[in-house]
Amino acid sequence: MKTQSLGSIRKSFAPWADPSEKPLIRFENVTKTFDGFTAVDDLSLDIYTREFFALLGASGCGKSTLLRMLAGFERPTKGRIVLDGEDLTGIPPYRRPVNMMFQSYALFPHMSVAKNIAFGLKQDGMAKSEREDRIAEVLKLVKMERFANRKPDQLSGGQQQRVALARSLAKRPKVLLLDEPLGALDKKLREETQFELTDLQYDLGMTFIMVTHDQEEAMTMADRIAVMDQGHIRQIGTPPEIYEAPSSRFVADFVGSVNIFEGKVAKKTGERVTLETPSGGVIEADNGGAAEAGSTAWYAVRPEKLIISAEPLDGPNVFSGEVWEIAYIGDMTLFHLKLDDGSILRVSMVNRARSSPLQLTWHERAWASFAPDAGLVLVR
Amino acid sequence: MAASGMGKGVFRRVAIGLPYLWLLALFLIPFLIVLKISVSTIATAIPPYTPTFGDISTWLDGIRQFTFENYLWIASDSLYITSYLESLKIAAISTVLTLAIGYPLAYGMARAPQRMKPLLLMLVILPFWTSFLIRVYAWIGILKPEGLLNQFLFFLGVIDAPLIITNTPVAIYIGIVYSYLPFMVLPIFANLDKMDGRLLEAAADLGSTPLRAFWTITFPLSLRGVLAGAFLVFIPAVGEFVIPDLLGGSRTLMIGKTLWMEFFNNRDWPVSSAVAIILLLILVVPIVIFQRIQDRQEASR
Repeated sequence: MKTQSLGSIRKSFAPWADPSEKPLIRFENVTKTFDGFTAVDDLSLDIYTREFFALLGASGCGKSTLLRMLAGFERPTKGRIVLDGEDLTGIPPYRRPVNMMFQSYALFPHMSVAKNIAFGLKQDGMAKSEREDRIAEVLKLVKMERFANRKPDQLSGGQQQRVALARSLAKRPKVLLLDEPLGALDKKLREETQFELTDLQYDLGMTFIMVTHDQEEAMTMADRIAVMDQGHIRQIGTPPEIYEAPSSRFVADFVGSVNIFEGKVAKKTGERVTLETPSGGVIEADNGGAAEAGSTAWYAVRPEKLIISAEPLDGPNVFSGEVWEIAYIGDMTLFHLKLDDGSILRVSMVNRARSSPLQLTWHERAWASFAPDAGLVLVR
Repeated sequence: MAASGMGKGVFRRVAIGLPYLWLLALFLIPFLIVLKISVSTIATAIPPYTPTFGDISTWLDGIRQFTFENYLWIASDSLYITSYLESLKIAAISTVLTLAIGYPLAYGMARAPQRMKPLLLMLVILPFWTSFLIRVYAWIGILKPEGLLNQFLFFLGVIDAPLIITNTPVAIYIGIVYSYLPFMVLPIFANLDKMDGRLLEAAADLGSTPLRAFWTITFPLSLRGVLAGAFLVFIPAVGEFVIPDLLGGSRTLMIGKTLWMEFFNNRDWPVSSAVAIILLLILVVPIVIFQRIQDRQEASR
């Protein structure tokens, strides 16, 4: 499969692929139910030292519950969580070597920034001088030195986010948990902070586990992503694996934008399959090893893998339709083609030149096509 | 347009003016009357003081008769000073006791399951359905030597002679704490109930035990409610009359009782008015402090 070439961005870093590597955190068949509602369902997961791991899913998928169980705020109904060889069952949150950065930041409103950061250090009985050094160090790390004496309500959202981060880093936890860390920031600040966080994580050599519903955030920051749905992990993989080799229609659809064709496997020769769609279309596809001849399968192809033309195109996998929507986004243009069977085909085109040679407008006929290896065949 | 604008203006003025009218009619004017009586002289007449302001032509003459004698009298007689101090002491101790009982109650209510809260709140307010006077009388039935409490303790065999509680300060404390408990519980509950539970999770996450988290996070953040409750108990408790009269017996000196005796037993309206004015001045101090703190907290938001 082509997926083998889709590795981590950090080239030499792939502890999950090394069988001799021991995971730092193990979720072992963890189940959590609330009044009959199963939030996390018999879930097992290994996370490795120095990894930046993202739990990605829609709200209510169980990702926050998973994080809260690791922090100790919730107890697993079944199963156990092991951190660095130690079973965490029954250990209260205040004795766990993990710290959490809360979605709402949860800064203590009656304490200054410095006191907020000192709070955790005082619990450890750290000496005053050492404490002050540590406070100065983490404030420098998040570039908030000038705000040490401010109260949280005198700070902007972005500044509060930095203080919350500094506070959770101050105790140098083995694992830092981040619950939607950038959720409350505006887009520009969020993008900047994403890179700062990844740099920080790399420099500190800490293990980060992040919960997010924002796939772009997960893709940008994480080494590996677990896509969650209804208490289950649907797929674990590096960002390119999740995007280019989703294991199911759910993951393909959840992460990014995708066109999915349903069809019967009419012919299969090795990896190459021919799908016949209900409306009579034919799709020639590579990467079809998992599909069985005669069964139903789906072909998933991302909009940017298609080309669009105002003239008829040659070759396999050509579809024609009416231009239904055009969205000019700036860096790219998104077309919705309404095919003859009524379904919508999404095609995106990168605007390399300032004026596009393609002069398509609404309700004109257009042709789109993709290579057999542009997408992949899914059987789930 | 102009007419409706004017109509609005009139409405606004009425809306703002009404509370002031209310205060003027029911607070400021009675206050001025009491103030005036307090600088009058006792007389065998109806009303029992002089000067009275019947005829406008005698007003100037009447004002010349004003005297601070009553205030000097109060300052010179240890009875009044002792009464004031005793009232302040009883009110202060009662406030501390009410806080000690009310805070855990409010805390328990705030931590109770959401669906239980309306019921618990109801239970706190429920005693108000019975007259205050009847409830204080009921305490006599409970606390008197042959009362329910002593009978129960006899039954248990804990005591062999009845506990004397009525007509002692202990009975006053019980009465005040019981009567004013809702005024302590409600503001503290309101404060604790809206506290962000994630702050405690954050505290636990940073290594703080639940007990330390209470003293470093919960309690400081609920101080505003504690303060409101403390003043709501302390201020009326200082001037309390019914409870010391019914439960405290004849030996208790609280300023409310002294005032009552001065007014009804001695028929000395001027001195009892002066007692009331001084009580008001004493209470203005904590009220102003309370306002200051409220304003400061409002400003820091």
